[in-house]
Amino acid sequence: MSLEIIKAKFSAFAVHGAPLTAGADTPAALPVSLVVETRHAVKGYDLDVTVPPERVTDAARLLDEAAFMLEAITGLDWIAEQQFEVVYDYTSLTTGARVTVRARLPRATPELPSIAGIYPGANWHERETHDFFGIVFTGHPGLTTLLLPEDAVFHPLLKDFSA
Amino acid sequence: MEKQTEVPQGLIHFAMLDKALALARANSLWPMTFGLACCAIEMMATGASRFDMARFGCEVFRPSPRQCDLMIVCGTVNKKMSPAVRTLYDQMPEPKWVIALGNCAISGGPFKFPGQYAVVEGVDQLFPVDVYVPGCPPRPEALIEGILALEKKLTGRRRWPVASAS
Amino acid sequence: MSYGTQSIHRETFVLNLGPQHPATHGVLRIKLTMDGEYIDDAEPVIGYGHRMQEKMGENRTYVKYLPNTARMDYVAALFNSHGYVCAVERLAGITVPERAEFIRVITAELNRVASHLLWVGAFLIDLGGFTPLLYTFDDREQILDLLEAVTGARLTFCYYRFGGVCNDIDDEFIAGTRKFIAHLRSRMPMYHAFITKNIIFRKRCEEIAPISAETCRKYGATGPVMRGSGVAYDVRKLEPYSVYPRFAFNVPVYPQCDCMARYLVRMDEMVESLRIVEQALEQLPGGPVMAEKVPRMLKPAKGDCYFNVESARGTFGVRLVSDGTDKAYRLKLRSPCFSNLSLFQECSRGLLLPDALALLGSLDLVIPDIDR
Repeated sequence: MSLEIIKAKFSAFAVHGAPLTAGADTPAALPVSLVVETRHAVKGYDLDVTVPPERVTDAARLLDEAAFMLEAITGLDWIAEQQFEVVYDYTSLTTGARVTVRARLPRATPELPSIAGIYPGANWHERETHDFFGIVFTGHPGLTTLLLPEDAVFHPLLKDFSA
Repeated sequence: MEKQTEVPQGLIHFAMLDKALALARANSLWPMTFGLACCAIEMMATGASRFDMARFGCEVFRPSPRQCDLMIVCGTVNKKMSPAVRTLYDQMPEPKWVIALGNCAISGGPFKFPGQYAVVEGVDQLFPVDVYVPGCPPRPEALIEGILALEKKLTGRRRWPVASAS
Repeated sequence: MSYGTQSIHRETFVLNLGPQHPATHGVLRIKLTMDGEYIDDAEPVIGYGHRMQEKMGENRTYVKYLPNTARMDYVAALFNSHGYVCAVERLAGITVPERAEFIRVITAELNRVASHLLWVGAFLIDLGGFTPLLYTFDDREQILDLLEAVTGARLTFCYYRFGGVCNDIDDEFIAGTRKFIAHLRSRMPMYHAFITKNIIFRKRCEEIAPISAETCRKYGATGPVMRGSGVAYDVRKLEPYSVYPRFAFNVPVYPQCDCMARYLVRMDEMVESLRIVEQALEQLPGGPVMAEKVPRMLKPAKGDCYFNVESARGTFGVRLVSDGTDKAYRLKLRSPCFSNLSLFQECSRGLLLPDALALLGSLDLVIPDIDR
C-alpha cells in the first residue's frame, strides 16, 4: 500500500486544521484530526497524522494492513496546555517510509484504547508510557509497571514531578 | 606423670597461621559474576586473555554467592535492584570483601543529579565497601590495581612494588 | 499432555531467573513457569537497570547529555551517540563536513565489529563454550586500541559532537585499521572452523527457537533478529544517512529464522563492516572535522524530529522535541533491545530451558539499553 493510499484512507477520518507546534499558543479544545505530509529528510517521518484518541486502534489496523512495523510509542506532557500527547511511530519495512500518529488527551483523565491486540509489541511500549506519564490504555492485557519498581506510584516524566 | 601446664616454646605459632590464611585468601579471591552495567564489560575484559585476572587467582567467577568471597559491584545500583544486591551480599559467607568498580558504584556516578528518582548513590549505602576503583568505566589495569589494593588490605604487603615515577 | 485416554496431572512450578545470572547479560529477571524442563510461560521483568536517561535528557543541556548516550548500549556506544547527535543536528540545521561523516562511519563500523565480536564470545558462553570468548576479546582489544587512540575511551565513547567529531584521525590510525582489517579477515576462517562447524554448536542452534518474520514485524524486533528471519530491513539501505550510500556493501539475510541464522547474520555483518571501513579509508577526503560556527549553547528550533540509525542490535531511534531552549523538551530513545526482548514471552513458550537461553543469547541484549 503506497503512502498516497494511506494518506487518502487517513483523510477519511481526518479533518484539516492548524498544525500544532511545541510551545505554540493553542486553544484548549482538542483538535479533531489532521494529516500533514512532511519531508523525511527534514523531520524523519513522511506522514504526520493527528487522530482523535478513540481512533488510534483504527489507525493501527490501517497500518497493520499496510504491513507497517510498530517502532515506538511514547508520551509527551504539554503541561502548559494541560494535555498529554501519545505519539506512535510506524515504519514500512519495504520502503522505509515512516508514519507518525498522534493523539491528544486531557491531562486530568488521560485514557485511550490500547493497540496491543493489533500489535503485540505495543504491550511493553504502553506499559512504559503508563509508567512515565500515568496514561491509561484501556483494554491493555496487564498495565503493570515495567521500568519502575512494582510498588511505584509516581510518574517521573511529568513536568511537575519532583523526586 | 605430672601435668604439663606450659606449652613448650616453638610448638604452636598462632600469628603465622593468620598470615598464612590471609595470604591464601588474598591469592584465591573468588569473585561473583555481578555485572550490572558498563563496568561489567571491563571486568570481562580483565578476565580475558590480554589483562588476565587469572594471574592473581581471581579467574574463578562463581555465579552463586554461596561459593564466592569477593563481590565486584560493576555498574549502577538502582532502587529496584537494591534489595537483590543486599540479598546477594548477605548470602555470601564470611570472610567477604566488596570492590566498588566504577563511579556509579562509588557515588552514583554520571547519574547523580538533584531530583533523580531511581539510582542509589553509591553502593556503600547498602553495605561496607573495601576498595573503591574510580573510573567511568575504569580501565582493566585499574581493576587489577584494585585487586592488588585488596590483597594489601588482607596481607599487609603489596604483591608488587609500586613503580617509581621516573 | 495426555497419553491414551488418561490425562496426566500437570503441575507447573515457578523458577526465577535473575536478576543476577550469568546468562542474562545484565540485570534481567525472567519469571519462568516450568512444566518439567519445558517452559510454560516466561515473563521478563525489567527495570533493574533503569537510570532515567530520558528524564536526564530534559534536565541536561544538549552538550552535557552527550556522555549519557554512550552509557545506554555501551557495547556499541557510538551508534547511540550518532543517533542523538544527528537528531539534534537535524533540528538545529547543522551540516557536518564530509571528512567528519567519513570518520563517523569508520569508527561506527569498527564499533559494530567490536560489538559482534563480544556477542559471539558471550553467546558461546551462554551455550557453555568458554574458549571463543578469549579469541574474540583478543581481536576486540585491537579495535579498542585503535579507537582509544582517537577517541580517548575504550568503551563509553564521547567522540561525536554537534557538527562533526572532536578529534581528527591520523596516519597511525589509518595504517593500524588497515592492518586490523587484514588480520580479522584472516581470522574469520578460523572462527567458522571452530565455532560454526562445531557439531555441538550446530545442534544447539540449528532449528532452535524460530522467530517468524511476522512476529518480528508485530513486535518491532529489528536488526540481526529480523534479518535472521528473512526480512531485508536495514536502515543504512532503506533510510540512508551519513555517507553510507557511497559504499558498496551487502546486507546479510538468512531465511531460516533459527538461532543459527541470527548468528550467521552477525558473522557476515562483521565482514561487510570491514568492507565499508576499507572503502571509507580509500575515499577519505581532507578538510575540517568540525562544522564552523556551531553555537556553544545550542538551542535548536522549536519542533520535533525523528532520527534512526542501524545500531549493532537493530534500529536505534531518537525522537527529539525541542521548545527552543537549551534543554530538550522530550527526548525519546527508541531502543532496539527493548523491542527484541518483548517477543521473548511469546517465542519461548514450549521451549526447553537451554533452548530458551540460546534464544535469549541470540537476541543480543544489553539490558541498560532496554531499561535506559
